[in-house]
Amino acid sequence: MGNTIYTMGIDVGGSYVKTVLMSYDKESGQHRLIDKQTEKIRKRDPKDVAHDSIDMILERNNLNYEKDIAYLASTGEGEMVDKKTGHFYSMTTHARGGIFLTPGARTVVDMGGLYVRAIKIDERGKVLDYKMTGQCASGSGQFIENISRYLGLAVEEVGDISMQADNPEVPSGICAVLAETDVINMVSKGASTPNIIKGINISIAQRVVKLLSSLKAESPISLMGGMGMNKGMIQAIEEVASENKKSDIKFQSHPDAIFSGAIGAALWGGYRYHVLKEKSGQELVAS
Amino acid sequence: MKKYYLGIDLGSTTSKAVIVNETDEIVGRGITNTRANYKVAADIAREQAIYDARFNLIEKKMKESIADMPEFKTYMKDLRSVFQYCQFRRRMDSLADMLIKTASESTHPEKDTIVERLRAIIAVIRPQMRHEFIHEGLGSKNQFFRDIVSEKYNSEVGKMEPKFYEPLMLAFDKSITPIENEMVEYNFKDLVLEAMDILEEKYKGLADMQEDGSKEDWYYSEMNAMKNQYKKIGHTLHSHIEEIADEEIYIAKMVGTGYGRALLPFPEDCIKSEILCHAFGAHAVFPNTRTVLDIGGQDTKAIQVDKYGLVTSFHMNDRCAAGCGRYLGYIADEFGLSLNELGPEANKAKKETTICSTCTVFAGAEIKELLHNGEQKPDILAGLHKSIVQRAMSLIARSGGVKNEFTFTGGVARNEAVLKYVKQMVIDSYGEVTMNIHTDSIFMGALGGAMFARRNISADLPQGTMVRETGGEVS
Repeated sequence: MGNTIYTMGIDVGGSYVKTVLMSYDKESGQHRLIDKQTEKIRKRDPKDVAHDSIDMILERNNLNYEKDIAYLASTGEGEMVDKKTGHFYSMTTHARGGIFLTPGARTVVDMGGLYVRAIKIDERGKVLDYKMTGQCASGSGQFIENISRYLGLAVEEVGDISMQADNPEVPSGICAVLAETDVINMVSKGASTPNIIKGINISIAQRVVKLLSSLKAESPISLMGGMGMNKGMIQAIEEVASENKKSDIKFQSHPDAIFSGAIGAALWGGYRYHVLKEKSGQELVAS
Repeated sequence: MKKYYLGIDLGSTTSKAVIVNETDEIVGRGITNTRANYKVAADIAREQAIYDARFNLIEKKMKESIADMPEFKTYMKDLRSVFQYCQFRRRMDSLADMLIKTASESTHPEKDTIVERLRAIIAVIRPQMRHEFIHEGLGSKNQFFRDIVSEKYNSEVGKMEPKFYEPLMLAFDKSITPIENEMVEYNFKDLVLEAMDILEEKYKGLADMQEDGSKEDWYYSEMNAMKNQYKKIGHTLHSHIEEIADEEIYIAKMVGTGYGRALLPFPEDCIKSEILCHAFGAHAVFPNTRTVLDIGGQDTKAIQVDKYGLVTSFHMNDRCAAGCGRYLGYIADEFGLSLNELGPEANKAKKETTICSTCTVFAGAEIKELLHNGEQKPDILAGLHKSIVQRAMSLIARSGGVKNEFTFTGGVARNEAVLKYVKQMVIDSYGEVTMNIHTDSIFMGALGGAMFARRNISADLPQGTMVRETGGEVS
């Protein structure tokens, strides 16, 4: 294994800390995702959560940070992570992580806890243009989280439940906070949980599709970030897009979508490491 | 038979009920938090208002005894608090059962351990809450079942192994809503007698406190008086309770208002807009009011009224919750404070930190960053409070500005930091005007409703449980 180097990526988001361990094989030029970890922040200090997750991954893989990790790259709000080797802007990390998980993507949408960012990229992952939601949380993962908490659902259940909807109730409120009251009304009128969840997914999907058309996004579009793992959300986006006569667009996702930022960071970290190594002529860290 | 009139204000966050008599005097108030079932929220608020009315009637009958002996007053205050505990305890029993049931049905691999942890948590928080109700007056702190339980529950969950954090929180989220939406029926008399028994226990135990050597003499002198008197007080009370518990609180007419009004099974004539009710209630208390600002759970309204208390113009926020009570709720949650602590904390500020986000959810995230950058909690809170008031001021400006007198109503008017900024900014923009802030500000909408009920609502009451008192003989 003398040809393998390890890099780590850590993406500190609004609600989760995502950490990955990746390897790069010098001979084959292959990157591999070795281990991954998500931690919900809830009310803890994100910095502590970040450090705990790094340690957990290292321990699980029997690695030593100083000796074995070539580069620890942070992204998102990860600048606070003391151990990091370098920090990368989340636009570039999600783009890079997006094409790692779904090769061929021309647009990567990072659907996270607070924002939705749509990023247009070229075939190498270079950012060409982007648009993001900025002032209001009505398109955010936090929105779904609040509603599912209210309905007593685990966030992981939300995708499957949404798929069971037969008559979605789309909230009239535009605001994530006001929509909660809308949901209370729906419950009191007897709307089913799947229909409520699907309605929320549709209302977020409408925002995403609007963002995509204002960006003139190119297909295939990769749905990444925490909400990219929500099958119900992807279904809703596809439906809303086809209603808007955009059925020629191809949407794709990946079970590891939530790690796109962390993966991208780890990859960029590896790249930076190589550049540094080439300049200084140092040896690779062997393990 | 005496006639009473009921106003119910179903807000997005809390539901309020006010009962007035034939001279518009408030005889009872009830408040509860609004959850999925508006009907239950309305029923609970009304029931609370009727209980409150009964207590007020008892106190009225005992007016002379209360004036002569302060022990009577203490006893009644304690009795109300313990009465609340008796209601609370029944809900807590249901919640405990539900929690165990929810956890037992989960598919978690360590289900049994989770159930075991749950039992441990329940065993800890139950006596805690009992103690706080009986000895620390928790009942008078305006907190609702959910708030009280979740605060205690969360703190216990925090002590458990981190891997059980999510499953335990989820068990709570799954269990609390059905319990909150369940109407529990109580019988006033049974509950009061139960509360009196618990009080007896409390006062009996007072002997030990005497030799405690504490410096708080006033407290113990009152308690010592209590120790000698409680049996006598209890005896005097018994006959009053018998009488009042059997007295019918006959609700002749009612009006529903507030966010959830349209979802209630009331006839159309029994429903009035909350803007009308708020203005009418505020105007009734302060007849010279021309401008009313109401900041509630999810809307902020600036209302102009004429000399009859009727609305001439209004403006309200829509599309966004920024600047409402919910905003404060979110922020309180972010800081791990209770809503009541927010205002005092903000007033400790030395400066006001600027908050860039307008959105409630984003502001929550921004706070984390500000704290991380070393900003002080009170300064951030002051900035948030100020921004809420700034938004309200722009609504007032659009509705026609402040005219003498100005009245501030709604749940947020209880927040002293908001109050401070409102006073400051109104004076800065409109000069010295008379400002009215009422301790009952949160009940203004319900009061307006009750007054409308007494005046010009001619429709008959809906048939069904809404007008019937639970547990009583009235049909």
